[in-house]
Amino acid sequence: MKKLIRLTVNDREYDVAVLPNQTLVDVIRYELGLTGAKKGCEMGDCGSCTVLMDGKPVNSCLVLAMQAAGRKIQTIEGIETENGLHPVQEAFVQKGAIQCGFCSSGMILTAKSLLDKNPNPTEQDIRKSLSGNLCRCTGYQHIIEAVKSVTP
Amino acid sequence: MLLPKFDFHAPETVNEACQMLSEYGLKAKLIAGGTDLMVNMKKKILAPEQIISISQIRELDHLDVSGDRILIGAGVTVADLCESKTIAGYLPALGQGANNLGTPLIRNLATIGGNIGSARPAADLPPGLMAYGAEVVLQSKAGIRTLPLDNFFLGPGFTALQPDEILTEIRILVPPAGSGAAYVNIGIRKAQDCNLVNVASYFALDSNGIIQNARVVMGCVGPKPFRAVSAEKILIGQKPDIQLFEKAGEAASADSQPIDDFRSCATYKRSMVGVLTQRTLQQAWTRIKNQE
Ligand SMILES: Cc1cc2nc3c(=O)[nH]c(=O)nc-3n(C[C@H](O)[C@H](O)[C@H](O)COP(=O)(O)OP(=O)(O)OC[C@H]3O[C@@H](n4cnc5c(N)ncnc54)[C@H](O)[C@@H]3O)c2cc1C
Ligand code: FES
Ligand code: FES
Repeated sequence: MKKLIRLTVNDREYDVAVLPNQTLVDVIRYELGLTGAKKGCEMGDCGSCTVLMDGKPVNSCLVLAMQAAGRKIQTIEGIETENGLHPVQEAFVQKGAIQCGFCSSGMILTAKSLLDKNPNPTEQDIRKSLSGNLCRCTGYQHIIEAVKSVTP
Repeated sequence: MLLPKFDFHAPETVNEACQMLSEYGLKAKLIAGGTDLMVNMKKKILAPEQIISISQIRELDHLDVSGDRILIGAGVTVADLCESKTIAGYLPALGQGANNLGTPLIRNLATIGGNIGSARPAADLPPGLMAYGAEVVLQSKAGIRTLPLDNFFLGPGFTALQPDEILTEIRILVPPAGSGAAYVNIGIRKAQDCNLVNVASYFALDSNGIIQNARVVMGCVGPKPFRAVSAEKILIGQKPDIQLFEKAGEAASADSQPIDDFRSCATYKRSMVGVLTQRTLQQAWTRIKNQE
């Protein structure tokens, strides 16, 4: 049976009726219409469904929507500001780190959360933090360079 | 990918969760981080009718030193273990396991209770925990009992946990001065792989520099993580050095019971048990020397 839950996504509150067995990624994509988070493997392997939950990147294909009630969710749609794209988004465009774009939302959100915690990471830190996000276009080098370009 | 149909419950306290478990029994499954259970449900291996979420229960989130014991709530995430100064300071072998588990995204969801509860023979946290002699606290409506982690695992996916019990806490005695431990795992890649072999070793010296207590725990080479008893016997009563660690490695290899599978052949795993036993003992020894 559907139950009404309150989800906070990109600082906006949504009251959505969800089924107990709906995943967070499905609710975000199909109920809220935010299609930035992708569905790749649906098994926690690829990271294309990455969203930030209370500031931390997680695989939203492994989270039940009901478990996300009361948590703060951020998706790729929510990190732009009135000044335009988020610096990590801008860097991905400038450095050619986006090919097909399927991995980009996840890559950018994971990189953003790393930089929020540690504004000056080493290349090794960047590689380690992105190790749960796969790029099937294999554009890793440009992705690492894009993240590096945002550090001081 | 469709999940089975189930009802969802989010109790606020352990008592409430125990009440639900006693009502639903085998029809219910606990979900913490979900990184094991969700995959098993998607693969149609499990189809519980009732899902009881415990990730919102704040009682399960603590990580404290209390007297001579370190108390870790079952809901503590693997990412929290990686960042904790208590873990890095007192239990570095557990920290090594946490840092090697899954990916950063998985670590943000995965809990220590779920890693133990899933009872996978290749899991990253049990060897370190068993090397430190951890105990688990199991709670049901009927009360609380404790069990050495050594006796908790029964086989792949099977544990001593009763259907109405929740694992609430992991308890570890603060390791004494003059003791050290380490964990090493090997797999195909650094991230996102399943271990081929993993070993954790612990030993403690007496005031004369003689090993008075030792635990060597092997994963992936049997139906559950288990102790290399003959390696421990070789270590106890001796002074630590490379030759002794080599002999202990050979004994651990002989104690292991690996099988051939698509990841690698048993012969390779058996010889790696020896190598990792030596390496973990060496690292533990270095840690002891660095305390002095
Ligand atoms: C892509 C991917 C990579 C992974 N890599 C690794 C890896 O490298 N190493 C590794 O060890 N594991 C790995 N795992 C497995 C999994 O992430 C871990 O075992 C994790 O610690 C499980 O914790 P959880 O909180 O997500 O468990 P859940 O899925 O929530 O629960 C797992 C099981 O334990 C039970 N359970 C959970 N909490 C309790 C409790 N408090 N009391 C009683 N029972 C409980 C549940 O009922 C369930 O049966 C990986 C998983 C994925 C999807
Ligand atoms: S779709 Fe979630 S990790 Fe691949
Ligand atoms: S840009 Fe295509 S998957 Fe990364």
